[in-house]
Amino acid sequence: MNESIKKMITEARDMARSKGIKASIHMHHENSHLMRIGNNSVSLNTSEELTRIDIEVIQERKKGTHTHLGELASAEELFKMILTVSEKASKSAEMDFEPVLTVIEKSIELETQYDAALDNLDPSVKEQVYSAIFRNVGEDYNYSGSWSSGGTETFSVTTANDNSVWHRLTDQQFMCVLKHPEKMWELASWQTGWKAGDVKAEATIEEFKNILPVYENQDGFKVEPGNYKVLLGSQSLGDLVGMTVWTGCAGRTYEMKMGWTSEKSIGDDVLHPSVTVLDDPSNENIFSEPLSDSGMLTKTLPMIDKGKFAGLLYDRNTASKYKKEATPNAGCLAMQPGEGLADFLEAVKGEGRVLYIPAIHYMNMPNMSKGIFTGSSRFSAVLIEDGKIVSPIFSSRVTDQFENIFGNVLAISSETISVNTSNTYGRRAPSAVSVPTWMLVDDVKITDCADSF
Amino acid sequence: MSVFNDLKEAITRNIGRVMETGAQYSDARWYEDDSSEMLVLLDGNLEGNDTTVESGLGVRVLYGGAWGFAATSQTGNVDLCFDKALANAISASMLVKVKLDMGSKEGHTGSYTSPFDVDPIDVSLSEKVDFLRGVDESLTEDWILRRMLRVQIQRMIIHFWSSEGTYTQKKLINTFAHMTAMALDTDHQMQRRSKSLYCETGGTRGWEMLTNPALWSGHADRVKTELKEVLAAPEVDFGKRSVILLPGQGHLQVHETIGHPLELDRILGYELSYAGGSFVNLDSFGKLQYGSDKLNVSAYGSIINSPGTFGFDAEGTPERDYLLIDKGILVNCLTSRAMISEANQRAGRKVFTESGGASRSTAFYRAPIDRMTNVNILPGNDGTLKDIIATTEDGIIVDNPTSWSIGSNREHFHFGCEIGWEVKNGEITRVLRNPSYQGHTVEFYNNLSAVGDESTWVVEQVENCGKGEPNQVMELGHGVPVVKFDDVISGERK
Repeated sequence: MNESIKKMITEARDMARSKGIKASIHMHHENSHLMRIGNNSVSLNTSEELTRIDIEVIQERKKGTHTHLGELASAEELFKMILTVSEKASKSAEMDFEPVLTVIEKSIELETQYDAALDNLDPSVKEQVYSAIFRNVGEDYNYSGSWSSGGTETFSVTTANDNSVWHRLTDQQFMCVLKHPEKMWELASWQTGWKAGDVKAEATIEEFKNILPVYENQDGFKVEPGNYKVLLGSQSLGDLVGMTVWTGCAGRTYEMKMGWTSEKSIGDDVLHPSVTVLDDPSNENIFSEPLSDSGMLTKTLPMIDKGKFAGLLYDRNTASKYKKEATPNAGCLAMQPGEGLADFLEAVKGEGRVLYIPAIHYMNMPNMSKGIFTGSSRFSAVLIEDGKIVSPIFSSRVTDQFENIFGNVLAISSETISVNTSNTYGRRAPSAVSVPTWMLVDDVKITDCADSF
Repeated sequence: MSVFNDLKEAITRNIGRVMETGAQYSDARWYEDDSSEMLVLLDGNLEGNDTTVESGLGVRVLYGGAWGFAATSQTGNVDLCFDKALANAISASMLVKVKLDMGSKEGHTGSYTSPFDVDPIDVSLSEKVDFLRGVDESLTEDWILRRMLRVQIQRMIIHFWSSEGTYTQKKLINTFAHMTAMALDTDHQMQRRSKSLYCETGGTRGWEMLTNPALWSGHADRVKTELKEVLAAPEVDFGKRSVILLPGQGHLQVHETIGHPLELDRILGYELSYAGGSFVNLDSFGKLQYGSDKLNVSAYGSIINSPGTFGFDAEGTPERDYLLIDKGILVNCLTSRAMISEANQRAGRKVFTESGGASRSTAFYRAPIDRMTNVNILPGNDGTLKDIIATTEDGIIVDNPTSWSIGSNREHFHFGCEIGWEVKNGEITRVLRNPSYQGHTVEFYNNLSAVGDESTWVVEQVENCGKGEPNQVMELGHGVPVVKFDDVISGERK
């Protein structure tokens, strides 16, 4: 983002302020690239360079917001847009609380997680990594995958003061799926990071080579419905931690009595004492976020502390509506490690029959009040007996409650890993969660199983 | 010169330029206007008052059997955008095992406009807010804890040019709305009942659609009454029984377990890293008994006023009305040009004869992929809802999803619903709460035992179908009658 754009936004902010308009202006620029793999080929190779301007105007108990994606030539043009949003806010309906304008606590320029090499990564690098995987693991398998990378640059100001925030970071999310063309099972490998060298072909090659013998030499195992000891892998944990916290520790959900904690109070025992989850912007596994939505410098906040319900997160408007303090949260979730061995097979020796479910596909919540979720196993799921992988398992459905999953914990890995939780709907918005590499849980409900992978 | 003429000149010149480099095909979509508005009235507070205006260019180049795509919001950069798309295609062509091919088509021109009387984007905010407040008032009761009204409207003006000389222009109008009332039940669980704006057969898609009480706002009293019944209702017991899906639930069943598994890019394995695959393969067409002989499913269905109706797809192909499932047998799927070319090549025979006009993209900055248009279960001969209830010994009627979770190949599924009505010996006996059901797709559709007549058929709208990488959200429709399935596992295992 060149200085002239920052100047244009700052000038427009000053024009708005001189007219007594309470406004925030946020610019989001992305340089995105995504290579998609299907049937051992590059099926799509995309580049998008997009600049968005978000404007919010508040007039006492009314507000209006607008997003512009397209050409923008001058501060005057931007100011006209602010006037239009101001007009929209004036015609809005009064609310029973006063919406709050973001007040940027301190001017910040941050690019500690920016790598120009990743921002400008030549697509041929991606093609070479995938080619190396195909070559080394075996060309007879069917490969697919995607590798999203790019740079995000944001600049925010509000009429509340002269402070501004400029933040530039890079991120990437790599995935490779290996499918057997006849037997139809699927293995997957994920990698993430913010530097060009963070994704390595060797890591995925090793991962696939380690598990392929089991899949090649054993038939699929159909799991009968019932309660099982389940070893959840990092992708499963990433999804579960996110869903558990956002439906249990988000202030809005709690105040609306929608979530699984709505009958609980801060300090109550809700999960197993070995479970601690923080909102931790300092965690290196997570993409940084310098300011909360209300403009405060983000801090580490406990959500679940040794199994106790420890915190609720309030954005600025929820805080205003329910007369609470807004929290300086970053949306950077980190589940703390346990004391289990890093090697999950060593860790489950002596545990008898265990289902290893590294990833849960298509999770949803039939009952948010009770924290009931459902989803099915996918990718590299196996049956383990006494620490040995004995066979792959067919697509199996888990339908259980968060309080059981994080309540019946038997052991947690001492190592953590970054799980990239970004999606590419709308704008580029890197996000990740830090979780232990595995968690062993007793009495998990398997409610259905297909006859196939 | 006008912006249009300037861009047209730059786009057609660049299409010619990339074709001269040896490209097989190229096309460009210019979104002159992609405006949307979202209004959210939560407990009477207008918490969402958002507008978005997007404009820009998306370019595809097929080179060496591989796609390159580039997009820009700066339409002064047309040359650069084509350069990027071409470079991406050349780079992609270094790793291609199956070369993609668009086949050849004669160029054509065409235009399409959604039917509407009043462009909803042009209606004043005050009028919109007044209308929503009126609906909110009709939903208000002391015992209702949460009321949420959400309206989303869209207007898109899209121009398309291809290297085959095709030019199409579309103006698409979409209007979506949802009302939800929530209250705590006797166990302090939040229950909800909702109603979404649906399409009247032969109707329009403008502001007049939203304000027609029969299609949305007039359902507020029923929503309240049914919510109250749910609050004190017993839970559904776990067991096997008949399940009768009203269109509010049936459309999602069709969406997830017929629509998605019949997208050809999924069948060919191009969605494995995100949305998943399909239990259907190229040998299934003409052979797979997908459902009982009561199951007839169409694509597009010549429904004139659905969000899945758009005139020409993102490759300029006219939308086409055809059967996907004929008397239970799978006969076709949702297709685009490059996918049918690859499918026929892989199968070594002509499985598909022409594109189904199902190539769609959510915005100028996303490349088109295979998508649903309107996927519809055609009305049957089993009469009205009352007739279907009368022939049911032990069953449950369900409506509107609370959750949906589907296996990665769409082979199995689990749905939670807002409300259930127990049916015993041909009569509704009581309301049930927290209904859910699960099944395996082919077995489930082969247990289809009744399909309601025209009187039960409704076109439901979907505005949030997610698929593809980079991710895309799409709008579409499903025409569905009341349907009954036997021997379905329902309720939750204790």
